[in-house]
Amino acid sequence: MALSAHAVDEIKSLPPRFPELRSAVIPALDIAQEELGYLTSDAMSEVAELLQVDPGYVEGVATFYSLFHLEPTGSHHFYVCTNLSCTLRGAVEICDHIKRRIGVEDFKEVSADGLFSVEEVECLGACEYAPMMRYQQSFHYDLTPDKVDTLIDAARRGTSKDPHAHG
Amino acid sequence: MADAISTLRGSHGPQRHHVLTADFGTPNLQKLDVYRRCGGYRSLEKALKAMAPEEVHAEVKASGLRGRGGAGFPTGTKWGFVPKDVPGPRYVVVNADESEPGTSKDRYLMENSPHMVLEGALIAAYAVGAHQAWIYIRGEYDRPHRLLTDAIAELREDRILGPKPFGKDYSLDIQMYRGHGAYICGEETALLESLEGKRAQPRSRPPFPAVKGAWGRPTLLNNVETLANLPWIVAHGGAEYAKFGRERSRGTRLLSVSGNVQRPGVYEIELGVSFRHVIMELADGPPPGRRVKVFWPGGSSAQVLPESMLDLSTDLDEIARAGSMAGSGGVIVMDDAHCVVKAAYRLLRFYAHESCGKCTPCRTGGDWAVRTYERILSGEGSAVDLQILDRIQESVQHGRCLCALGDSAGQVIASTMQHFHDEYEEHALRGECSAEVPRSVEKPPEPARPRRGERAP
Repeated sequence: MALSAHAVDEIKSLPPRFPELRSAVIPALDIAQEELGYLTSDAMSEVAELLQVDPGYVEGVATFYSLFHLEPTGSHHFYVCTNLSCTLRGAVEICDHIKRRIGVEDFKEVSADGLFSVEEVECLGACEYAPMMRYQQSFHYDLTPDKVDTLIDAARRGTSKDPHAHG
Repeated sequence: MADAISTLRGSHGPQRHHVLTADFGTPNLQKLDVYRRCGGYRSLEKALKAMAPEEVHAEVKASGLRGRGGAGFPTGTKWGFVPKDVPGPRYVVVNADESEPGTSKDRYLMENSPHMVLEGALIAAYAVGAHQAWIYIRGEYDRPHRLLTDAIAELREDRILGPKPFGKDYSLDIQMYRGHGAYICGEETALLESLEGKRAQPRSRPPFPAVKGAWGRPTLLNNVETLANLPWIVAHGGAEYAKFGRERSRGTRLLSVSGNVQRPGVYEIELGVSFRHVIMELADGPPPGRRVKVFWPGGSSAQVLPESMLDLSTDLDEIARAGSMAGSGGVIVMDDAHCVVKAAYRLLRFYAHESCGKCTPCRTGGDWAVRTYERILSGEGSAVDLQILDRIQESVQHGRCLCALGDSAGQVIASTMQHFHDEYEEHALRGECSAEVPRSVEKPPEPARPRRGERAP
């Protein structure tokens, strides 16, 4: 069993919140990912079993949505917007800088120490603060290489709380 | 961490035309007691206690309010599609899946005044005979999700949600539902599929959501900003609201202005002001020495307009007549240091990535366009590639796709090729780019001059 007793209880409590059972699939996958960091096929099977839906159906849902990770990410995962408004203000350079600093070649590659990964994502709806990213359930605005360095250094020291986090 | 300053990049505060943002900036406006001190929930109370649902509906019709999510459909008319005589549950679903590139105004509303959004949703629920509202919010909106969840808890505690809000025998409830990263969920039938726990692929219509929506029930779907107007409309009357704006574009709206402007932000404007006012005055125009090359008037899906169109009105129909669309109110500005072909490529990568895969023209057209752009931008292009792009844009528009995503992708290609064909030719035929000023080169700003492909103002 991939999931803790607590996660199992949470998932089992979901269906009554919705008019139909299937609406619980996405929140259930969210709980599983929150616990495991990414969705293993065991975890998806377990979600399917708990909700009494077909495992293929659960996997079909998980693979559709980009916030579900089917591969491990770093424990510090940067979601950097590279859509037009952010690109016009330097998002590509920010991505390149992050990759250099955490020592990866490509998006979604996990750094050797397992700490970091960076993902290029679509517009995050904070275009007036471009370039921006989502990190640790917060938005980080008006990014510069210096601001990114501060976050990476704090993560390496194990003090990931950023005073400038918006949220 | 609630940072009052950083949630307010744009316009707010008491101004004559500030319907939505007048109280923004009030400390702790996100809290129920502060929102109520600013007059909050008086409109819901008024609607429940002093108005019949039909009267609320009549005020919305009189206001001339049109949907602020993208399509600009008259809100009162949409409400009228929800059948009155069907027994059993019906729902209001709030589309908070804001993800049109260049659009951040719903986030601005939810972060600054979550209760205004909730009050609007509850007024709408009462007006169409629903007792349950769902807020479908994109998964990346962590802070708006937290604020709305807290606000809903406050409403439960104060019994504004529950069996008898304000003593009226009309039960009301709101629940949150988080999306998980899919642009297509902004399309209303895809959103409903997602709410039902499925892959978010648009449904064919009819039946429309008003008749058969969430879980097969009659459902009213409205955008966050559309609903946020309702407390004001109920408080002051639809006729007062209609005094703002012009013609068939009544009221005010939020424009998210981003890209190459000196003061990007979310600005509340009275409909009918010009884009020149929005871009050059409110947002302070491009950096010194640069000029506007092109702007997207309503999100990345709106057809681009060249600098010569800056005097265009923000009136929804005027924008349509100019060959573009008011869309989601996301005004993206690009200055003359940037290449239109590269911008179009960036957007096509987006549309290709976000295609849900259900219908063939969109699924294959997007990838095909991306590969063509890559060939052109790598200097391997030819005249044939321009013909291919033209074929693709034709193939994904004009109702050939199940939803508007295909049209959006096609419009990016078609409108950039229309206004900047010589830039395309430069790339495809000669492998050159005279438009772009590389960011890494510290070059002093050039004096303003017309560039290739740009129409003289």
